[in-house]
Amino acid sequence: MKFTRLRSLYKTHTPPGMPMKGEYGFFITGWCAALLYTLLFVLRYVNARADLYGCDPATGRRVLLAGAVITDFSELFDGTWTGFFLLAVCMVGFAVWHYAYFRLGTQSIYLMRRLPDPWELHRRCLTLPCLCIAVCLVSAGLCLWFSYLIYVCFTPDICLPAGFPTSFFHYVFRR
Amino acid sequence: MLELKNVNKFYGTRRALCDVNLSLDRGEIVGLFGENGAGKTTLMKSILGFHAFSGEITLDGENITPANVTRLSFATSEHSFFANLTADAHRDFYEGHFDTFNKKRYAALMDFFSLPHHKPLRAFSTGQKNQFEVILALSQGADYILMDEPFAGNDIFNREDFYKVLLGILEPHETVLLSTHLIEEVSDFIGRAVLLQNGHIIKNVTTDEIEEQGMTLVDYIKTCYRYQGDRVSKALSELSELSDMSDTSVNT
Repeated sequence: MKFTRLRSLYKTHTPPGMPMKGEYGFFITGWCAALLYTLLFVLRYVNARADLYGCDPATGRRVLLAGAVITDFSELFDGTWTGFFLLAVCMVGFAVWHYAYFRLGTQSIYLMRRLPDPWELHRRCLTLPCLCIAVCLVSAGLCLWFSYLIYVCFTPDICLPAGFPTSFFHYVFRR
Repeated sequence: MLELKNVNKFYGTRRALCDVNLSLDRGEIVGLFGENGAGKTTLMKSILGFHAFSGEITLDGENITPANVTRLSFATSEHSFFANLTADAHRDFYEGHFDTFNKKRYAALMDFFSLPHHKPLRAFSTGQKNQFEVILALSQGADYILMDEPFAGNDIFNREDFYKVLLGILEPHETVLLSTHLIEEVSDFIGRAVLLQNGHIIKNVTTDEIEEQGMTLVDYIKTCYRYQGDRVSKALSELSELSDMSDTSVNT
């Protein structure tokens, strides 16, 4: 029942007869690539964290350097959500492509513009790209949150920059 | 009544429609004629709201908006269906959007033309595509059916069948505005002829009035456009004279 409802929702929110497999493939691949790109933060973080430690010449053991402060979070996180941003921009391209679809081969735009619901055309062209953009935004937000957790949880408290907020929301809204 | 008052349309600086005044009563079949570029398609697209224009177009006294645009249907040689959908998927789409969709008429016309129900439209022949385009326009349940050269590419048998069907199925309240170059073929079933030239309506006359003048529709239209019947023979003789002259100069 739910599946049928979803199917009919999908049917009424996409351009009629438009092959969507390519777009899904592109989005999923793009999303995975964007997610992989966020690992850049982990790499940067691992290096920054390693810089906090030095070798004690007396014992030869790895010890926390006195007064060492980890690189600022925003510097480590900077640019890691570029993938999601680029993917969201591509979704704008998809929306344009959806509008163009109604003028390719046949002029089905004439039918769309004669429908009693004037928003039908825009709904069919924009819903999926908007959803994908939302997915990109949520993914970027989640990545920010995970990165923040990693930063806060794995950095020794005394090495956190002075005044660094201990709550994620604090951090986001402070910015 | 569909009424156009002082409708003007410009493409850049070129005037495509010039002060067009026209009214279509219920139940009329009106032929819209004119040379290529005369403004026939522009006129229809303006009525449907696809083009911005100046002037006034009203349907029973009201402007054409999404609230009443479903009272107009449109069949065009450019085709307005979705090439990847099947005929039955179109039926479902129309049923979902047009409350007045005439399922019975759709089924009858599909049967009459023996069109496949489950084949994507892109796999139809040009003739079949035209037929389907017109079937959709006729089945939408619109009061005003606009057809812009709907039979371009159909063979003569196909077209004749279609005219007969059209006359047979139209309800008294349905109005057809038919733009075509096939003047002779439609002369028997249109009730009025509207002639466009360079965006102007040069004639708006009933077929009875044409008959009273003792003319056929084709002759009437030729007269209105000042068609020079001898221009082909003149051109051919001029061409042959030229080739004779060049032959003589080569020989000398």
